[in-house]
Amino acid sequence: MIWVTWRQHRAQILLTAGFLAVLGVLLLGSAVEARLYVAGHAPPGCPGPAVACAELEVALGRRYDAVYSVFGWMPLVLPALIGAFWGAPLLGREYERGTHRLAWTQSVPVWRWLAVKLSVLAGAVVAGGLLLSLMVSLWRPVFRAGIDSSFGNIGVFNMVGVAPAAWWLYAFALGTLAGAVFRRTLPAMALVVAGVAATMAALFGLSDHYAEPARAELTGTVVLDDVDARLVRAAWVEPSGREVADPAGSGCPLRADAGRSSRNAEAWQECLFAKGYRYAMYYHPPSRFWRFQWTEAGILLLASAAFGGLAVHRTLRRPG
Amino acid sequence: MRPALEATGLGVRYRRSWALRDCSLAVPAGRVAALVGPNGAGKTTLMHAAVGLLRPARGSVRVAGEAAFVAQDKPLYDGFTVAETLAFGRRMNTRWDGDAAADRLARLGIPLDRKAGGLSGGQRAQVAITLALARRPDLLVLDEPLANLDPLARHDVMRAIMAEVAERELTVLLSSHVVSDLEETCDWLVVLNDGRLQVSGDIEDLLAGHLVLTGPADTPSPAGVSVVGESRTGRQAGLLVRGGPVPDPRWRARRASLEELVMGYLRSPASAALPGLAGVGA
Amino acid sequence: MIEFHLDRGSGVATYLQLVHQVRQALRLGELRPGDQLPTAREVVERLAINPNTVLKAYRELEHEGLVEGRPGMGTFVRQGVAGPTLADHTRLRRGLEAWVREARAAGLDQEDLRALFSVVLADASKEGAA
Repeated sequence: MIWVTWRQHRAQILLTAGFLAVLGVLLLGSAVEARLYVAGHAPPGCPGPAVACAELEVALGRRYDAVYSVFGWMPLVLPALIGAFWGAPLLGREYERGTHRLAWTQSVPVWRWLAVKLSVLAGAVVAGGLLLSLMVSLWRPVFRAGIDSSFGNIGVFNMVGVAPAAWWLYAFALGTLAGAVFRRTLPAMALVVAGVAATMAALFGLSDHYAEPARAELTGTVVLDDVDARLVRAAWVEPSGREVADPAGSGCPLRADAGRSSRNAEAWQECLFAKGYRYAMYYHPPSRFWRFQWTEAGILLLASAAFGGLAVHRTLRRPG
Repeated sequence: MRPALEATGLGVRYRRSWALRDCSLAVPAGRVAALVGPNGAGKTTLMHAAVGLLRPARGSVRVAGEAAFVAQDKPLYDGFTVAETLAFGRRMNTRWDGDAAADRLARLGIPLDRKAGGLSGGQRAQVAITLALARRPDLLVLDEPLANLDPLARHDVMRAIMAEVAERELTVLLSSHVVSDLEETCDWLVVLNDGRLQVSGDIEDLLAGHLVLTGPADTPSPAGVSVVGESRTGRQAGLLVRGGPVPDPRWRARRASLEELVMGYLRSPASAALPGLAGVGA
Repeated sequence: MIEFHLDRGSGVATYLQLVHQVRQALRLGELRPGDQLPTAREVVERLAINPNTVLKAYRELEHEGLVEGRPGMGTFVRQGVAGPTLADHTRLRRGLEAWVREARAAGLDQEDLRALFSVVLADASKEGAA
């Protein structure tokens, strides 16, 4: 049965492995190149707090951007591909080609066929996701040390930790269920792509509620000093301690800024701070990285189990 | 002796309509049973229920031993070579006679390195049947094995199946909507019509137990026999009856052919020739 | 060895066709005492018919005393079973050929010949049975 699983799905397995290998080489190459660049161009004492180091950081940031564009779409595209090419054909293609009547009338019972295929392929998908996460985690600090972490940027957040594995598994389970329902590959593929995109948008909205946001009251500035925090919302706090969305009764005039200047806004903020107003920010600090990772993975894992269970139930109820 | 296939009160429902209802039959071991009926009569449904591709809504269907199934479109993994197809069979089954399978394919001249997707219709049917036979099944279920095959391939496929039956105790259930396909090969007849079982029994007994009567149209129906179906055209009447003999000299009687028997029943859905289940296993 | 064939349109039961062919081969001297009949599997592989049909035909022939089954070996034509001699055949055939020529000259066609022959044959067998 393991051989059958390998033989039927080796194209997907080899392609995914190949993709990960190429990506690994690419990341390794860019990291080595960046290190050489730093070694060749860094003034003495860099990287470090010296002002001269800033220029180096900017240059590294530019190099990072060039490579980043390669995988900016990966958090969305990779799970969609996994769902479309690992999940959707698993049952959809069998039904479409009528081969389910071959596969499920051999001595191996249907439930075992499903159990082996689902566990082997889900295992491979999770392993692939973890490998991707590992590679990205090793590579990113080379460019981004001290610039941002992997928490505030949702795209990066979905590429490190356990997130890729959870997303890949989720897409695989969704694709499998779609294949079992439609009994055709193409509509199942379409549903996976739409489903993964919709889920990503939904979880992005939901992620603010994974934990009670931390609150900070600022005076003199409206910028949180932690660049990687996830901002949830902000409000002005009147001297009386009441939070208002719009401090209209403050008497500070707000004039529109022209062009890219923010002079008027800054003047307005200074006026507010002078009158005793404070700026309250609700945010999630980067220390919550793992809590968020596991919460999201938990949701996706539960959904995967539900989809997988439904697909199995549907298949066993009417295999023909 | 235990029947190779036994259905008791079998009912299968697709959404709201019944594809098969109250179907009770038994096929004795070692028989080659023909499952006939018009398209949509429930033949495929009965076969799918027998091999576990369907869960019956009512009743049960039981196979004594292992059943192997070849679906109508002879499904194979197109990307597999013939050799890989055999490897698939070996790994998916507890009983497997790989040597016999390789021998058969060699005799048929089907190359092992050919992709299943590149086989001709006849070769594909042969590979699918080889795969089923290599499992050494007790019951071989074939859904329209001859459909879409040219006459030569039909003959070859039938020869292969019959040779296997000659070799060992194997029960075969094969469906067709063309009765003439089955005349020389089958010794048991199951007729399904609109989801109901109409006939189930030994073909020779059935043929011996039925007569075709022809006579003037105004001849009264004969006594002592049950009329399965009748057709009156102008001055002539033709009857298919069960039982006999018919003493009335106005009726000329002769044995029914298999085709006449099947057609007679299919035209009269209310008639049925079903043995008591107890007597079938003997 | 005898090679069976089937006339699928004849309406004659398959097993009877096999029986007739063996009888005919015996009559024509194509099968001789001690000759083996093909196994059920061999017949089935050639004709694609139900093996039980072959077995039934062989049982019928055995019943008539023409052949005997030897367990584990096959079915053989029995010793002492002999059709008319070859000389008889030749002589009778000559006679029949002369009769056919005569009938043709009288204007009978192929169909007429066959019908006439069957009727005579049927009548003769009735007399024989009576």
